[in-house]
Amino acid sequence: MQTEYRQAIAQHRQKVYSFAHYSLRAKEDAEDVTQEVFIKLWQHWQKIDHNKIGGWLMRVAHNAVIDHVRKQRPSQNNVDQYAEVEEQVGSESDEGNIDQEVFKARLQEAIKSLDDPFRSILIMRDVQGLSYTDIQSSLDISESQVKVYLHRGRRKLRENESLRNMFEQQFGNSKSQSSLSNDQERFNRELNVTGKSNDK
Amino acid sequence: MTNSSDSQCYFVQLQIDGFLDGDLSETQQGVFMSHVHDCADCAKEFRFAQTVQDAVLELPRVDCNEYVLEPIHRLSNSETQGNLDSSSSNGSFISQLMNLINTVPVFMRVGVPVAAATVLGIMISSSLLNQGQNQELSVPQVVAEVSPQYAPEEISQALEDLNLAIDYLNKVNQRTEVMISERFLVNPLQDSLNASFQRARLSDDDPLQNDPI
Repeated sequence: MQTEYRQAIAQHRQKVYSFAHYSLRAKEDAEDVTQEVFIKLWQHWQKIDHNKIGGWLMRVAHNAVIDHVRKQRPSQNNVDQYAEVEEQVGSESDEGNIDQEVFKARLQEAIKSLDDPFRSILIMRDVQGLSYTDIQSSLDISESQVKVYLHRGRRKLRENESLRNMFEQQFGNSKSQSSLSNDQERFNRELNVTGKSNDK
Repeated sequence: MTNSSDSQCYFVQLQIDGFLDGDLSETQQGVFMSHVHDCADCAKEFRFAQTVQDAVLELPRVDCNEYVLEPIHRLSNSETQGNLDSSSSNGSFISQLMNLINTVPVFMRVGVPVAAATVLGIMISSSLLNQGQNQELSVPQVVAEVSPQYAPEEISQALEDLNLAIDYLNKVNQRTEVMISERFLVNPLQDSLNASFQRARLSDDDPLQNDPI
């Protein structure tokens, strides 16, 4: 039993922690959730279907994250953490990487600020790469609902002012009209490539 | 921008995620691509969506540190160890006994129980036989004890002694009754009553002054 349990932890620890990490603002909360989930796995080991441990773990992790989010209050600490990330990135990287890293940091904040189930589904699908079936069984909703929530979640993410402003600064206002037309041509080429790759 | 192009932009922008996921049909893809080629706003929106989507897909799959899972491993270890200890303590006597039995040769394992059973059977049968003989011998002794031999003169003498004893006890009883009634009960009661009446007569003015009660 213990060996199987250890194997289950080794197999699913990254998935559980990653989900908690991108859902919650504080690292300690993500660690608490991970511990909570695997303790519950130990407590319910005899009762659960061992062929569906992954789905069971994600469901428990989802519930634990929701509990933590309810307890969580928006505090100055989170803003400070974000400022630290920006400072760290600024001191260590060159100009291009600053934008990229800061954009990713803001993206993570934007994901964390989404409401559930948009946040959970977006993390499960786009960050963790889970299948619609896995998400469906984890959240106990239909596959069509998963798709609808995912598309709405992505749109809500794109409505984030901070992300959009940064994108505008990088690709919009700073460029001249001629460079914009060059960008448009380059973009059209990429679009054709994307469309062809999707055809496959 | 006209209303028709606005609505077209709205529908195209709704299809951005479908296009990025490859969920659109060929016809829908063609309409989508031709519109995005011509419309700068939709092209920008598509570019932003693609940038965000790429950044999301590039987010690292983070893993927790080992110290996070250490308490869980300790918990499972301790509980498993506890279960093993309890099961081993329960089965230790049986397992040791079985090991001990297995070390003994086969003929001893069969011969010793057979010999023990034979000796036990002989002992039980002999004790049963002895018990039967004892029962046969004890019957006349009981009869002899039940019927003792007394002469009629001895019996009449015993009856006379018994009557004398009863008379004596009756006389003692009567004397005790007289002593108790006259000396300890009747006479003291009469004396106390007489004394109280006498005190009552002496103090007529205040009848309650010397009231014994």
